[in-house]
Amino acid sequence: MAALKEEEVLSLAEFAAKSALKKGADEAEAFAYEGLTTTVAIERGQIAKSSRIVDRGLGIRTIVNKAVGFSYTNILTDKAAIEKTVSKAVKSARASKPDKDWQGLPSKKPFPEVKGGFDKAICELSPDDLVKAASVMLEACEKTDKRVFPIEGGVGASYLSRAVVNSNGVAGFDHGTIIECSLATVAQESGEVTPVCFEFNAERLYKIDPEWVGVEAAKQAASALKAKRVETKPTKVVLAHFALQQLLYYTLMEAIKADCVQRNQSALQGKVGEKVASEIVTIHDDGLMNEGLRTWKFDGEGVPQQKTVIIEKGTLRGFIYDSYTAKKERKESTGNAFRAGYLSTPRIEATNLRFAPGKKTPEELVGEIDEGLLVYSVQGAHSSNPASGEFSVVATPAWKIKNGKIAHAVKGAMLAGNIFEALKNVSALANNERKIGQLVAPWIVVENVKVIGK
Amino acid sequence: MRDLLSRVLEEAVQKFGAEYAEARAQNISKTMLTVKEEKIEAAKEGIENGVALRVLVSGAWGFASVGSFEAEMLRDAISQACKMAKAASEKLKNPIKIVRGKAIEDRVTVKPKKNPSEVPIEDKVKTMLEIAKTVLKFDGRVKSCTVDYLDLVGTSLFLNSEGTYIEQDKLYVWSRVLATARENDIYTFSREEVGSTAGYEIFDVETPQKVGEMVAKRAVNQLKAKTPKGGTFPAVLGPNVVGVFVHEAFGHLAEADLTLSGSVLMDKLGEKVASDVVTIYDDGTIEGAFGSYKYDDEGIPAQKTLLVKDGVVVGLMHNRETAQKFNVQPTGNARAEDFRVEPIIRMRNTFMAPRDYTFEELAEDIKFGYYFKSFRGGQANLDGTFQVGIQEGYEIVKGEVGEPVRNASISGNTLETLHKVDAVGKDFELWPGRCGKGQTAFVCDGGPHVRVWEVLVGGGA
Repeated sequence: MAALKEEEVLSLAEFAAKSALKKGADEAEAFAYEGLTTTVAIERGQIAKSSRIVDRGLGIRTIVNKAVGFSYTNILTDKAAIEKTVSKAVKSARASKPDKDWQGLPSKKPFPEVKGGFDKAICELSPDDLVKAASVMLEACEKTDKRVFPIEGGVGASYLSRAVVNSNGVAGFDHGTIIECSLATVAQESGEVTPVCFEFNAERLYKIDPEWVGVEAAKQAASALKAKRVETKPTKVVLAHFALQQLLYYTLMEAIKADCVQRNQSALQGKVGEKVASEIVTIHDDGLMNEGLRTWKFDGEGVPQQKTVIIEKGTLRGFIYDSYTAKKERKESTGNAFRAGYLSTPRIEATNLRFAPGKKTPEELVGEIDEGLLVYSVQGAHSSNPASGEFSVVATPAWKIKNGKIAHAVKGAMLAGNIFEALKNVSALANNERKIGQLVAPWIVVENVKVIGK
Repeated sequence: MRDLLSRVLEEAVQKFGAEYAEARAQNISKTMLTVKEEKIEAAKEGIENGVALRVLVSGAWGFASVGSFEAEMLRDAISQACKMAKAASEKLKNPIKIVRGKAIEDRVTVKPKKNPSEVPIEDKVKTMLEIAKTVLKFDGRVKSCTVDYLDLVGTSLFLNSEGTYIEQDKLYVWSRVLATARENDIYTFSREEVGSTAGYEIFDVETPQKVGEMVAKRAVNQLKAKTPKGGTFPAVLGPNVVGVFVHEAFGHLAEADLTLSGSVLMDKLGEKVASDVVTIYDDGTIEGAFGSYKYDDEGIPAQKTLLVKDGVVVGLMHNRETAQKFNVQPTGNARAEDFRVEPIIRMRNTFMAPRDYTFEELAEDIKFGYYFKSFRGGQANLDGTFQVGIQEGYEIVKGEVGEPVRNASISGNTLETLHKVDAVGKDFELWPGRCGKGQTAFVCDGGPHVRVWEVLVGGGA
């Protein structure tokens, strides 16, 4: 099915926004979305299924007397259905209650240029091309180690487009592509099963390396065999990409949202200008990063995306805002209004949260550690306390570091602590920056993490 | 609609040689509200209409989803699905086979006392604001409150090439309340969910006062809590924690797709994996419970499935494909979140069966240990490593519940821990929740109070 054209999407959104004003809304905004996704899935060692998903829709936000209403539909072919949705949005606003802090939808601003967000080659991939990529990944995994079983994974290619039109003159269209391959594995040997290991590669341009993913997923699982318990004591911990992403997602990434700060839910409230992390920690939210997974010209309410400094050499510099929270503080939005497609109103989320890398290779980083733990992934990060930053998780898979070398795999080790303490105890950074969801970061070393072993 | 979808499936079989084909059409309306403190962020209503088509061609699955009921779009989608399956089958080692069923024809209706689609949105707004007000008024140290509300009403059609035609009403009502409290530098967090497939009348039982006070009280009580000691201790787990343990730590391992992927249960069928007092069910038939339904998304009737009987694994949760592999009947656990995704094996209402202990008897022999009453998140791994975060816990000192502890979590190996369950209470509670496995499913989990003579406790900072 062919993608909708820019003019088609924009005219749908314009029609909806205008119709809302006619129906009595003081302000209106329409967000149109299209996602075309083709995937090939690996299940239990073989390529066994493939799917094609077409998801289109329109979400309409209306404001009546400072009260906000919202409605959406996935039927775009019929103007009457859109009008009905618009009427519902207006009705919802009337049923809602006025919000005295509502100060209007964003106004028009020029959109920046972004690079590396769209690749025509991804749109042109056939299911056969994806099957080929998946089998390269699968074979690479199987060849690497016989004890490893690829349990699930696949290759997926998406085309996404979005348009925002509002009654303040904002009108924008942007489109992009994403391609991803991933493989989850376990290794088995003499009755021992490893925890699930995982590797992936996601890019905006057609340059994924399925062979690398297959090899790495296999190596990781094989090296997780023969796991032993470790002692309970404060330990130097290397947090690899996934582990860092999981720990930050439920803590720091919440605490920097202006909404959480304004609502007394953030441990960073009132700390702008203060030291909140070690001197070597610098973090930006970069909505314009070249080839960033969450790079777009504008955010979910049509505000230009931008690069925002969050922590500079350990000092907290600011938070991320949408237009509502920004106006409350008489500031400018940082372009962080995120939309989950057409199904919801915008909420604040980081775009590409970039943890500035260091100079050491990961081998050098590990080489300097006499005794420590290398943690690839953690289990249970979502049970962290988002308000305080406290976490208590299982490190899995993880490896013991002894005299600068990986000694053995570790099982059942828990890590407990507070993410804001941990950020103050960051003592080294590697140079292996990579993109994982909203995070772009290298491996980091954290001193004195409480490890509960047995 | 029925004729159109039958013709589309017919085409898959006749023109593309599909061995099996199914269509799921959904016609759903949702209402959503978010309240932050005492403000409505937005009142939201939406429509999600669409069709999912799944075919088995040359031993591989093909799937296509479209947000449309138009004949032209559906014909295009079925041909896409068949072509996708064909492409996937190129590298197939073991062709997929499924358990075939008899043709079923049924119409399932819901009869709520209060149908959410007939409750004015103004009333829903009022109820959610009342919850938020209760939370915020409870104590000056409560600093924020977020209330989310969702209802989903509509119908789902299921047709397959075996001649099955099922028309099923869908009804879900859900709400989640989050609160934070703060005193000096101490931040606490508390969460509770309400969920039902019966109707909006759930709020007559789970009243705004009851839910609001429970959430607020916990957030405030945690302010004076201490951090637990790290290490292994005896513990009494409350029904809410037993539920998440049974669901996360055991249940996922017993989802047959994950069992086949190498979960620790793979070679344990028929074997003892828990102490004698442990019996576990996954039950899709409990009336009004958040995880209940009549037919799953492969057209298989839901049932009460016995997973563990007196410590022995006797069953797994199956779809048509895994049931064929194990040579058993599907258990009705195939669920799809909506028309955008394909059905996968999911839990329903999962619980440990009660026995005969009172709470006092469970606690009396514990010199020092913990009472973990309510969870905050949990996760398991195929190797049986589990983690359950605790949002409400207390010390047990000389058999008595003592001071509260904050930010604890428990961990260990599922099967080792199930062997350490030495006494099971006679009470019983079922708690609604949402489970993530790539897609979200509405579920319940629960059980009685349970004693574990040893579990690893991860302390706070």
